[in-house]
Amino acid sequence: MTRLLSTAAIAATAFASPALAGKADVLGTYADIAAAAYEDSRITAEALETAVDTLIATPSAEALEAAKDAWRAARVPYQQTEVFRFGNAIVDDWEGKVNAWPLDEGLIDYVDATYGGATDENDYAVLNVVASPTFTLSGTEVDATEITPELLSETLHEADAVEANVATGYHAIEFLLWGQDLNGSGAGAGARPWTDFAQGDACTNGNCDRRGDYLKAATELLVSDLSWMAEQWKDGGEARETLLADGDAGVAAILTGMGSLSYGEQAGERMKLGVLLNDPEEEHDCFSDNTHNSHYYDGMGIRNVYLGEYVRADGSLVSGESLSSLVAEADPAVDAALTDALDHTMARLGRIKTAAEAGFAYDRMLERGNDAGEALIMGAVDALVAQTSDIERAVTALGLDGIGFEGSDSLDNPNAVFQ
Amino acid sequence: MRGLVLTLAVTLAPLAGHAGVEQAVDDHILPAVAAFQADTTALRSAAEADCTQEAVRPAYQSAFDAWMGVAHLQFGPLEETGRGLSIAFWPDARGMVPKAVAGLVAEADPVIDDADAFAQVSVAGRGLFAIEAVLYGESYDADDYACRLAVALSRDLARTGHALAEAWDAYAEILRTAGEPGNAAYMSEAEATRELYTALMTGLEFTKDQRLGRPMGTFERPRPTRAEAWRSGRSQRNVVLSLEALRGLAAELAEAPETDAAFARAIATAEALDDPVFAGVADPAARFRLEALQQEIASIQTATATEIGAALGVSQGFNSQDGD
Repeated sequence: MTRLLSTAAIAATAFASPALAGKADVLGTYADIAAAAYEDSRITAEALETAVDTLIATPSAEALEAAKDAWRAARVPYQQTEVFRFGNAIVDDWEGKVNAWPLDEGLIDYVDATYGGATDENDYAVLNVVASPTFTLSGTEVDATEITPELLSETLHEADAVEANVATGYHAIEFLLWGQDLNGSGAGAGARPWTDFAQGDACTNGNCDRRGDYLKAATELLVSDLSWMAEQWKDGGEARETLLADGDAGVAAILTGMGSLSYGEQAGERMKLGVLLNDPEEEHDCFSDNTHNSHYYDGMGIRNVYLGEYVRADGSLVSGESLSSLVAEADPAVDAALTDALDHTMARLGRIKTAAEAGFAYDRMLERGNDAGEALIMGAVDALVAQTSDIERAVTALGLDGIGFEGSDSLDNPNAVFQ
Repeated sequence: MRGLVLTLAVTLAPLAGHAGVEQAVDDHILPAVAAFQADTTALRSAAEADCTQEAVRPAYQSAFDAWMGVAHLQFGPLEETGRGLSIAFWPDARGMVPKAVAGLVAEADPVIDDADAFAQVSVAGRGLFAIEAVLYGESYDADDYACRLAVALSRDLARTGHALAEAWDAYAEILRTAGEPGNAAYMSEAEATRELYTALMTGLEFTKDQRLGRPMGTFERPRPTRAEAWRSGRSQRNVVLSLEALRGLAAELAEAPETDAAFARAIATAEALDDPVFAGVADPAARFRLEALQQEIASIQTATATEIGAALGVSQGFNSQDGD
């Protein structure tokens, strides 16, 4: 009975304290980080678009490398925004346009014979839009003589209701810049020749003009999609308004994003599954071999929103009242454990990044029987799973059990809450 | 004042929850794990005695039945080392299972002769769905590579069934001692309760959205070949068995008459479908019955949340299906 009374007394104190103001500040910081990170994503995607324009206007090996560099740079802020998924319906409904993965790249352009043909799941796995000005899609004749952003987003993306038909976003662009990685578990990424974008007789693999058109349309679309999302997080934007409308639901949304990204998405779908399948192309950035960075910056995004700080692409710091301080107020031990867990994850993801940058690419870590690679990846998986338990403890410490706490599936599918 | 009442309820709840965990472990989990071990061992014996398709199929069907009793326990022993996926790699959106099995056969990969090495093979090339591909795929003779593959797959699965049972022996103790000093997995009794509650809710979602939702696709584009285990005719059966298993778990966790009644309705609907591999997804009338079943499962989710979740003072934690 003493325990009950003391718990009640603590609860009463908590209710009396200005906890609501604290939550509003924490949500404000979170929205500021989102606005800045999506804005950085837009800025770096614009730089990519400039590089793509140069590649198309004056194709050269240097121009292709410059575009690849711009793509890699653009991934740094974007991956740090992935933590805004799962908790915010507006992000979930939109995300598939910019970062859908994995893809049946044969939809877009030529592929190697080993890729195979149409599958049970996907009739259009080798459609090759770059080489096909007209084609039939789900019984409808499609005029693709002009490759426009609308063709990509309205007709081709998720064509025939198959998720692997990814026609837009970072990974479609990645494929157009790098091409397929045909090295298996050996060294090397995709090696598309720059002449795939060359004009006249210098053009390799055919349809260089259409390939350039596709690349341009996809990049333009990426910029406009990112601009739209950046707007949603600014003052008065829909994402920010929705988040700020309810303090408890808003904080639960932050934690939902952190937990769902840590566990089901990153530790499971993106990392552990690759190890279990021993498939060298079962990696997030399979054409560019940039997966180590994608994972690293995903992890950093999770840590950013907990600590309430984000380093912008121009080096400036966005920071404010943190979720960490809110949790510490409720239970210092839970906050300390979660902060340690996030740091531990960054150290484990750092090991993968370090090894990859020294030449041990992520696809080689996935090779059957490669114990060192498996240990590196599973070390990060274990850390992500462990931090998920600490995130759940933070939810409990804040008394948020049962508040809008659902996976992305439930957010996307109103039937999930059908009664 | 309302805040105080809620706080009191939450504080009282773990006592009831802990009893539910003990019961679930002893009466639901451990018997199901033992049955899976026994049935996968029987599958191994059947394949070793006669590895032709017809001879092995009945034992495969029994082993799959037993799997449906444990498939929803996607934490701890099934999660460690990807054990659950090495038993059942589904959904398989990119056709990894047929690819992996065809790869082994095409190369006549000698990895099947070494149990330890075979345990390192891609999870898509092992487990119940790889066995299904062999037993219900192109026919073969008793001296073919495919026949030896059926034996290797059955041995590997039996080995996994044994390892799962051993892992559960230890893990049962971790669940039972939730909240005691030194238990790093469950720092309170409520955390163990939440684990089982999350498994229950996730299992319902999986059956509704994956087992039913995948073959349904959209009205314009139904996908019958995305049904679970359609090659071996198990799609409808798996829905029934999964609901029965989840009903069993729910019954251990708390006294919940409305939830149990919702289960009874959905199971009756699932049994009455008369559509073993959901070939009817393209037929509007049959499709309507599947949609009705999905809604009945959604009603179980609602009843479970209001009745069991509230009684135990827990809500759903994160689960491995949370990604996209």
